[in-house]
Amino acid sequence: MYKIPISELHAKAGQIRRNLIDLIYRAKSGHLDTSLSLVEVWLGLVYSDFFRCNPKDGAWSGRDAVFLSEGHACPVQYLVNADLGYFDRQSVFDGNRRPWTPFQGHTQRSLAHGLENSNGSLGIGLWQAYGFALEWPQYVFCIAGDGEFEEPSSIGLLAATHLCKPAGNFTLLLNYNRLAQDAPVDIGPLGKVAEAYGWYVIEVDGHNFEALDDAYQCAVADKVRPKFVICNTIKGKGGDPSREGRLGYHGKPPGNEIEYQAYLQACVGASQSSGGAA
Amino acid sequence: METYGSVSLREAFGEALREAGAKYPDIRVLDAGTRNSTMSELFQKVYPDRFYTAGINEPGMIGLATGLAMAGKRVVACDMSVFLQHAYAHLFTAARQGEGLHLIIAASHTGVAVGPDGGSAHDITDLARMRLIPNFIIITPWDGHQTKSALDIILAKPGYYYIRLNRPKVPIFLPQPAPFEIGKAYLLREGSKLTLIALGDKVFTALQAAEELGAGVADVIGISTLEPLDGQTIIASAHKTAKVITIEDHSEVGGLFESVAGVLVLEKPVPMRKVSVERVFTTSGEPDELARIYKVDLQATLETCRIFL
Repeated sequence: MYKIPISELHAKAGQIRRNLIDLIYRAKSGHLDTSLSLVEVWLGLVYSDFFRCNPKDGAWSGRDAVFLSEGHACPVQYLVNADLGYFDRQSVFDGNRRPWTPFQGHTQRSLAHGLENSNGSLGIGLWQAYGFALEWPQYVFCIAGDGEFEEPSSIGLLAATHLCKPAGNFTLLLNYNRLAQDAPVDIGPLGKVAEAYGWYVIEVDGHNFEALDDAYQCAVADKVRPKFVICNTIKGKGGDPSREGRLGYHGKPPGNEIEYQAYLQACVGASQSSGGAA
Repeated sequence: METYGSVSLREAFGEALREAGAKYPDIRVLDAGTRNSTMSELFQKVYPDRFYTAGINEPGMIGLATGLAMAGKRVVACDMSVFLQHAYAHLFTAARQGEGLHLIIAASHTGVAVGPDGGSAHDITDLARMRLIPNFIIITPWDGHQTKSALDIILAKPGYYYIRLNRPKVPIFLPQPAPFEIGKAYLLREGSKLTLIALGDKVFTALQAAEELGAGVADVIGISTLEPLDGQTIIASAHKTAKVITIEDHSEVGGLFESVAGVLVLEKPVPMRKVSVERVFTTSGEPDELARIYKVDLQATLETCRIFL
């Protein structure tokens, strides 16, 4: 169950996609394609009925924590948190990638802004999130990139259930968009390995709110095993169709007005067809 | 010089950590497969529920430790120093989490004093590595008593700390409780011709050397906090003696020598000499033997002093 109707989630997704395109086009840098692939995964999580946070008191000890390990996806994190009410959306547009703002090019931890961890190098945030979960009384979620599991220590995290202990409140959301910066990503037997190490593995369409609802409800219902949710996503989803799911656009914003319009048209069209507002 | 027996800094650390376990229920201790080397096992045996291992996985251990600190715990992550090279990116990312975290990295087995396990086990670059990471306070206790004082103090106040321990038994020469204040260098003995600045167990070596040189010859400054460095005490002594020697069981690159030189070259340039390990891969041997080979022992210190004087 979500806290709001799925039609509203679609509208929010359309709004955030439009904002992502504007934000990153204006900044002339940023990881638009990765951010676009995570819109439904992130919105679905924070609008799930079980999810607790307090935008007026970001450090609230009763919160469910959301770590972002693939830090280059921070634009979607900023916009979702703005939607939740942690801060004004305009402050993201004013501060994105600018000196000393809370909206750095990769996340800088600030609980007041709902930013749980500083990130950057891949393969680090997921360990921090697991350590956090070991002694956090509520749910802990960590959004990680598929490419992050090419870092050997990330594969090692799967063994933490045995070497350390299983964290039953921990859910890793894998953004499986199958594209890294320079090459395709194939996670191979990763799910089987996770299962063998005692993780509850769930595979889901990461752009489908109904499917994500099922996956998240199953995840939080299991209090014993850590969860490994493989979210099948499309890099650049909902942007320029000629760049959707295509290699070569990692960290490449629309380079000119024509490219920007191509993104915009796809975004507006999708919103109209789903009944959402851009 | 009067001493109170000897103990390795890691044993003193392990005992102090176990004691602190009673005082602070929120201490969490982490291990990466070396609990009987770092002596964190002393804590684990009494408080198994507050002890985590990541297995032989240093990046994982530092990641878990950082997460536990983010969850509000008072965290002590322990390892043999050289293996923490694996975890460097995790250490950087830990220190980028901002204020409020309480994370202590305890590194045993530093310097050539590790001995017969050989060069792959001698960590003579740890201070250089850790100095590069903003926010880390670097603690370099001199003996067992000061190790305990230092641990008590850094456990009482949130922050990011690196505490440098070692393997062999070394003389205890400070009373208990030993003096320790974060960021303070200690003028331990006064002279007018030469300043000896040392850290870790080399402070004892510096005091021995000063005694041999005779009364009134050498200022001896003990460094138990390398970062942030107490420049004032160093500059004041350099004004008086105009000759400075640093002594450390660490590479000449990036450790005490370059820290002190960095202060003096800007504030009070004076001739300097160094007693430190060259930029080399080291060999196996007994600790005393290696200190002689790499010229970081009392003999080498005295020789450097005499030529310099």
